[in-house]
Amino acid sequence: MNPEELLRHPLPTETPKLTLGCPLLDRLLGGGVPIDTITEIVAESGTGKTQLSLQLLLAAQLPTSHGGLSASSLYLHSEFPFPFRRLHQLSLRRPHLPENPLDRVFVQPLHSADHLLDLLPRLDFLVPKFNIKLIVIDSIAALFRGEFENTPVELKRRSSMFFKISSKLKFHARKFGLAIVLTNQVVDVMGSSESLRIGNSVSFFSSGRRVSAALGLSWANCVNTRLFMWREDERIGSSENEIVGEEGETLENFQTRRFIRVVFAPHLPDSSCEFVIRREGVFGV
Amino acid sequence: MEVSSLPISASQRAKLLSAGYTSLSSLSSVSPSRLAQDLKISENEAAEILKIASRRSGLEKIETGSHPIMNGAQTAWEMLHEEESSICITTSCSDLDEILGGGIRCKEVTEIGGVPGIGKTQLGIQLAVNVQIPADYGGVGGKAIYIDTEGSFMVERALQIAEACYEDMVEYNSLLRKDSVAAYQVDKQPKDFLENIFYFRVCTYTEQIAVINYLEKFVSEHKDIKVVVIDSITFHFRQDFEDMALRTRLLSGMALKLMKLAKKFNLAVVLLNQVTTKYNEGSFQLTLALGDSWAHASTNRIILYWNGNERYAYIDKSPSLRSASAPYAVTGRGIRNSASNSKRVKLM
Repeated sequence: MNPEELLRHPLPTETPKLTLGCPLLDRLLGGGVPIDTITEIVAESGTGKTQLSLQLLLAAQLPTSHGGLSASSLYLHSEFPFPFRRLHQLSLRRPHLPENPLDRVFVQPLHSADHLLDLLPRLDFLVPKFNIKLIVIDSIAALFRGEFENTPVELKRRSSMFFKISSKLKFHARKFGLAIVLTNQVVDVMGSSESLRIGNSVSFFSSGRRVSAALGLSWANCVNTRLFMWREDERIGSSENEIVGEEGETLENFQTRRFIRVVFAPHLPDSSCEFVIRREGVFGV
Repeated sequence: MEVSSLPISASQRAKLLSAGYTSLSSLSSVSPSRLAQDLKISENEAAEILKIASRRSGLEKIETGSHPIMNGAQTAWEMLHEEESSICITTSCSDLDEILGGGIRCKEVTEIGGVPGIGKTQLGIQLAVNVQIPADYGGVGGKAIYIDTEGSFMVERALQIAEACYEDMVEYNSLLRKDSVAAYQVDKQPKDFLENIFYFRVCTYTEQIAVINYLEKFVSEHKDIKVVVIDSITFHFRQDFEDMALRTRLLSGMALKLMKLAKKFNLAVVLLNQVTTKYNEGSFQLTLALGDSWAHASTNRIILYWNGNERYAYIDKSPSLRSASAPYAVTGRGIRNSASNSKRVKLM
């Protein structure tokens, strides 16, 4: 290795980006998910992180003229089962996709953080062979939950592992021009104690609960861009003309609204956008 | 020392003398544009004359100054003089510049730390752009090295900040040089700013050490480099170091090289650092990463933090500045004064 070779000069004027498959969401991200970096989507379950990940798996196959990477993708999942029916459903309704898009999605289950670390060196072989340009890990939090005890020694080992995983991922991203998308879970913030502020807001709420991203401060240092998705359950219609029928029917008067916000990103301002999940995919509104 | 001894052309010498510039000291505080006006010559030519004059007066100082006992040694008096003339890179936030005594100082190593999303990278990119503001506009007119260990440097953002910087220069021009024909022309385009940022992407700590060792050679080939930004110094050193003593040795070796580089080439070294929680007497406290011995490595330490909804910078360590804090904002145009702070000043 020569240090001269690490110089990139002159700089390109734009980073290639992968479309999210919706112009409104792309606008929020300044064109899409940037390659060479790690983008993290934080949300509680049922908000749509997996939906968006699946959409990205297909978007990566689009020709570059349509914002894609005309490449295959690798989906590493630690949350089971893999929703292949939904992926198939999405693939039927997306224009400009190549034939048999599911053949270009490689799926690998993950069982632990060590399993992920063992797998990463194999990327050197897998990525060029199958023309992979997108790696999705859904979710990173599930790999670390439960495996580590809450003692200083264990936490230190855990955070050292974060940096190792992140740096290996970034290394491959840089080497092959990959886009890397990770999903992360949320944890509830207990009590009124002042929690550490990371990013654009003092506190984040989802389903009315105060939450923060799982895995803590050291992991936050490991990602380049963090997006937060949340849901709000709203009552529709005024209380007077509420249709109260038999038991349980009042639930139908609730409507879930979903939002996505930039928590921090080197190239994006603080902004947010509402989105919906339809049969055809995830769309900004 | 007289102007007549300068190695410049006879006509330039005559112009200088007839405009009243007879001694070198009379040239020491004049700007190139002013000199160009007085002498009715181009600004480039004026800048050239000033360069020659300042070089000559520098030589004179060494010749007439007391002879050092050891090669390279200086007296405190000489160092004070040197510091007064040392140059600063503006942060584009005047509140921040004020507590820093003008900006980020050349010849020094400055460490800047804070939580993710506070604006460390933004400040780094801003400095890489601002270092290029030409001397006519009160800048340094240098180039930048940006060593990216985290992959957070985005060219789009650098271009955005450069565009804002360019607009500010055009505005400055139109305000201060109404009479001049070249009033609305700024010869530096936003894209030129990117040209002058030498970007290194390092993916392992070995690469990081190799690049830092290579810097001396690189800078001696590109003499106009005035700032080296490392974003961040920490990232690759927070994984897999079983042997903490080795880590400390590597880090302090790196710090020494950077300090030497800053002194030798009169440039600013800016190290961005992450924060971590430290377990201290039963409670967790936030502190900059890499431990206590690393805390000695940088001359100045600035901590960025949230205060309510505002970003603040705090001088944690500096040999010459008193500790103080100032608010700043990250805007679409880059680092700027915090809007609410200017309101508060008005109220007072």
